[in-house]
Amino acid sequence: MKELILISIGIGIKSLIFIIGMFLLAAYLTLIERKFAGHVQQRPGPLHVGFHGLLQPIADALKVLTKEDIVPNFVDKYLFYLASLMAFVPAIMILAVIPFGEPINIFGYEIKPYISDVNVGLILALAFGSISIYGVIFAGWASNSKYPMIGGLRKAAVLIGYEVALGFALVGPIMLAGTFSLREIVEAQQGFFGAFIWYQPLAFIVFLFSILAETGRTPFDVQEAEAELVAGYNTEYSGMKFGLFPLAEWYIATFVLSAIAVILFFGGWNGPHIFGPISPYIWFLAKLFLVFMFLLWVHWTLPRYRVDQITEIAWKVMLPLTFINIFITAIIVIIKG
Amino acid sequence: MVKVKYVARPKLSNMERIFFIDFIHGLKTTFKNLLRKTITTRYPYEKLTPPKRFRGTHAHRVKDGKEPPSFVVLEKFMEIHEGESRCVACYMCQQACPIPSLFRIEAEQLPNGKKRVTRFDMNLLNCLYCGLCVDACPVDCIIMTDEFENASDKRADCVIHMDDMCERGVSFDRRRYNEPDRIWIDDKAREKLWGQIKWTYTQ
Ligand code: SF4
Ligand code: SF4
Repeated sequence: MKELILISIGIGIKSLIFIIGMFLLAAYLTLIERKFAGHVQQRPGPLHVGFHGLLQPIADALKVLTKEDIVPNFVDKYLFYLASLMAFVPAIMILAVIPFGEPINIFGYEIKPYISDVNVGLILALAFGSISIYGVIFAGWASNSKYPMIGGLRKAAVLIGYEVALGFALVGPIMLAGTFSLREIVEAQQGFFGAFIWYQPLAFIVFLFSILAETGRTPFDVQEAEAELVAGYNTEYSGMKFGLFPLAEWYIATFVLSAIAVILFFGGWNGPHIFGPISPYIWFLAKLFLVFMFLLWVHWTLPRYRVDQITEIAWKVMLPLTFINIFITAIIVIIKG
Repeated sequence: MVKVKYVARPKLSNMERIFFIDFIHGLKTTFKNLLRKTITTRYPYEKLTPPKRFRGTHAHRVKDGKEPPSFVVLEKFMEIHEGESRCVACYMCQQACPIPSLFRIEAEQLPNGKKRVTRFDMNLLNCLYCGLCVDACPVDCIIMTDEFENASDKRADCVIHMDDMCERGVSFDRRRYNEPDRIWIDDKAREKLWGQIKWTYTQ
């Protein structure tokens, strides 16, 4: 009994640290994105709040928190409130299964840099990812307005296609590692050429496209296509409820999906031990940052696909590619025993 | 006749399709831009001087001896002293304006038979800064200056009157009357942004 209480307290503290850390991180990811987008377009981005805009995320957070929260008259109130949570909570829950490194010993205590190491971690991450779609669809439906409706439906169409491709793309690395646990998948990739990206390039490309589609970044940002849909499914939202959607979708979801990409394809925290005992964390965060920056780079480069083209790519290109990938991987696994 | 030019969509080869060559080209372009210097100005701290032709806040030129001949013709009917607005209240600017109601121009006849402008107000909230009024003025009186910071938190501040327009005109002429009339302040800046102009004939 005592042990159970201790474990739950430990997990509670760890979750709190993860959630608060994620909030701060997401706030600063907005700054990184704005700086990056600015310089890509030859403007400096936030510049005046703090040194080169370093305090801008805090100012933005204060602004969005203190803004008047308007709920339109004819919305479905219950779903309207639920939607913003539905989009946000599952996205942050994926963090529960993402390992950031190996367990380390500090002062005789074993500290595990992950909340839980369940043996179906990957499936759990996928499931949470799918739940957050409901947030978007609810938001579109509950708003009782045409632009959110169209945006929500588009997002649903895109996501259904790419969830399937994403699921099948993950099968390749899982077959190679022989496990669903994210920690064990990392342990299966030792050395520079042990990373699964060398064996699973097809799966990686499909996974990359799926991340872009899942998180609504260009070239797949049809659901919020500013030029056509005002802001897409969150048009009727305001205040912090509005802030939660981009936070969940553009930053937290992108971040955790990049983390999964790093774990599945880039060997997680594996890397030469050149920074002493903290080198696993540094490797993991460095890889994560590079993947995230690559996604930003793609976002601020490409124009947007048409809706029909997006679903067409999902079903006609990406899905067959994953099947080919699974087939080839299966043959190799059988041959190598 | 409007001429339509059809441009065929470039055909992608299979190589380009499979290896996302276009994506990579685009990524290369944005990366190059990322390394370039920014081209913005830090506005409240650093202000650009607009070119002389800039269409900013309106002003009146005053009678200062540089009037066009048309003013000399009209002058004998007018009660205008040195240093006062050269407006002859001909209403041409109001006629030319797409939103005539933003002008309030009034004039009276003095006992000596001459005409004097008593009121010339413009509500710049309605103005679209097209510059038609400037072109219409027969005596080169109403002009547009390089002042562009005319935002205010009171509507009343956005209505300009004859006296402050005269002041602005005097200051504008003092600063920039002799400057050559050109769109870009200096050719170097223009060439850097738009390349060299190639005239097909020589004047
Ligand atoms: S600039 Fe155009 S809109 Fe403004 S007062 Fe002159 S004519 Fe009217
Ligand atoms: S056109 Fe010129 S002279 Fe005539 S009323 Fe307008 S400002 Fe005065």
